[in-house]
Amino acid sequence: MSLTQKGRWITVVALVCLAAVYVRALAFTPVERLQGPAQKIFYLHVPAAIWTETAMILVGLAGIFYLFLKDPRLDRFAEASAEVGTVFATIVLTTGPIWGKPIWGTWWTWDARLTSTLLLFFLYVGYLLVRGAVRDPVLRARYAAVLGICGMCLVPFIHMSVFLFRTLHPQPIILKPSAPSLPSSMLVTWLFSLAAFTLLYVGFVTQRYALSLVRDAHGGARPGHV
Amino acid sequence: MGELLAQAWTVARKDLVLEFRTRTALVSAIVFTALVLTVFNFGRDPTAVPTIDLAPTILWVTFTFAAMLALNRAFQLELENQALEGLLVSPLSRTSLYWGKLIANLVFVAVVEAVGLPLFVLFFDVPVGHVLVPLIGVIALATLGFVAVGTLFSALVIRTRFAELLLVVILLPFLVPPLIGAVQVTARLLGGRPLSESVGYLKLLAAYDIVFVSLASFLFRFTVDE
Amino acid sequence: MGLAPAMSDVPQNAGYMVAAYVVTAVILVVYAVSLYRRTNTP
Repeated sequence: MSLTQKGRWITVVALVCLAAVYVRALAFTPVERLQGPAQKIFYLHVPAAIWTETAMILVGLAGIFYLFLKDPRLDRFAEASAEVGTVFATIVLTTGPIWGKPIWGTWWTWDARLTSTLLLFFLYVGYLLVRGAVRDPVLRARYAAVLGICGMCLVPFIHMSVFLFRTLHPQPIILKPSAPSLPSSMLVTWLFSLAAFTLLYVGFVTQRYALSLVRDAHGGARPGHV
Repeated sequence: MGELLAQAWTVARKDLVLEFRTRTALVSAIVFTALVLTVFNFGRDPTAVPTIDLAPTILWVTFTFAAMLALNRAFQLELENQALEGLLVSPLSRTSLYWGKLIANLVFVAVVEAVGLPLFVLFFDVPVGHVLVPLIGVIALATLGFVAVGTLFSALVIRTRFAELLLVVILLPFLVPPLIGAVQVTARLLGGRPLSESVGYLKLLAAYDIVFVSLASFLFRFTVDE
Repeated sequence: MGLAPAMSDVPQNAGYMVAAYVVTAVILVVYAVSLYRRTNTP
């Protein structure tokens, strides 16, 4: 089975798992008293946010290893992780406002998670733009690695600065769309969702990686790998 | 260590001599800063919002623009004089090359800020005398952060398409955490708050500088080497 | 009289929930299809 096919299978399984999560979350998980049904957005929003950030960290780590080992597979992986990270960031940035509107009364607030994800989104876009702007594959891999490492190192600062910024600004008066202390049935749903998103990440990255592999084989092969 | 500084200073001096010989860029940057401050004045209603509330924002947006101008200028200098190629052939270490560029950029931005700050005080009637020293300290800390990352990214984009645009796009997420720190500390200083209230943000700024100056000086070699 | 149902306390915002679930599904399916098509025609 080629890498592409493996990736497709994993993705299909992941989507089926996600469908199961949908059913469980929508029909078999209790409605949260204070926030109402809209709270269930949490089951999608938070796992997506976790993977948005993890994907960025992986891009950075791949970059570090690439600079020392110069293995083009690492660069391919970084490229894939960045693209998938962008997709997950889009999910966070769309579900966030949809959740925020009924809870906070406004589409956008500069709350910690949304703001951090927005910055991550810009990091991803910049990373992908740089990749698109460099012709030579070796140069591209090196520049991308440098930017990816810087992006990864920025993540803790994003958290720190946004956290400091928030603690001085009035919290949403009504409720915060964060996890209420989770009763076990909600926790289980959330964990299933996290598992589904993990599988989605793996399936997507595998396919995207396979795509780079194919593209490199057809033209402009990265040196060191035919 | 002495060797590093000596080499860095050689690089910096070359850039600065070139700069001050023509002075065009410096004068343009100063005029730009004055213009931005002027525009800010017309963009607000002084009867509705007291100046002191907007002052930190005005100051820092202006300084951020000034830093971006400085970085673009440095970039132009490279292109025009092909100075980079010449330097790479020389036996200068990559790290001292970075430090030289960093110092040159910092001097440029410092001159612009040194004119901008009094103009700001004049135009907006903001008393800063009693907090001048800590204010200059914050300005220095934040500027160092901006310019450290910006100097690295300038070298990174130099061989890409749409380089100046790309520089801004990839740099902006990196400016947000130090900007948050800078604005918050400035607001507290101008508001007469004790310095102890700004400690968290000051630590953020210091940590950012330490991490990114080290990271950028280390990664610089990967952006210029063949 | 003293047994008012608690149900009326819960906000009626299921529309938002549906919207978010739909949007997420759309994004993921569109991306999955994009990958499928891109890996079919190199």
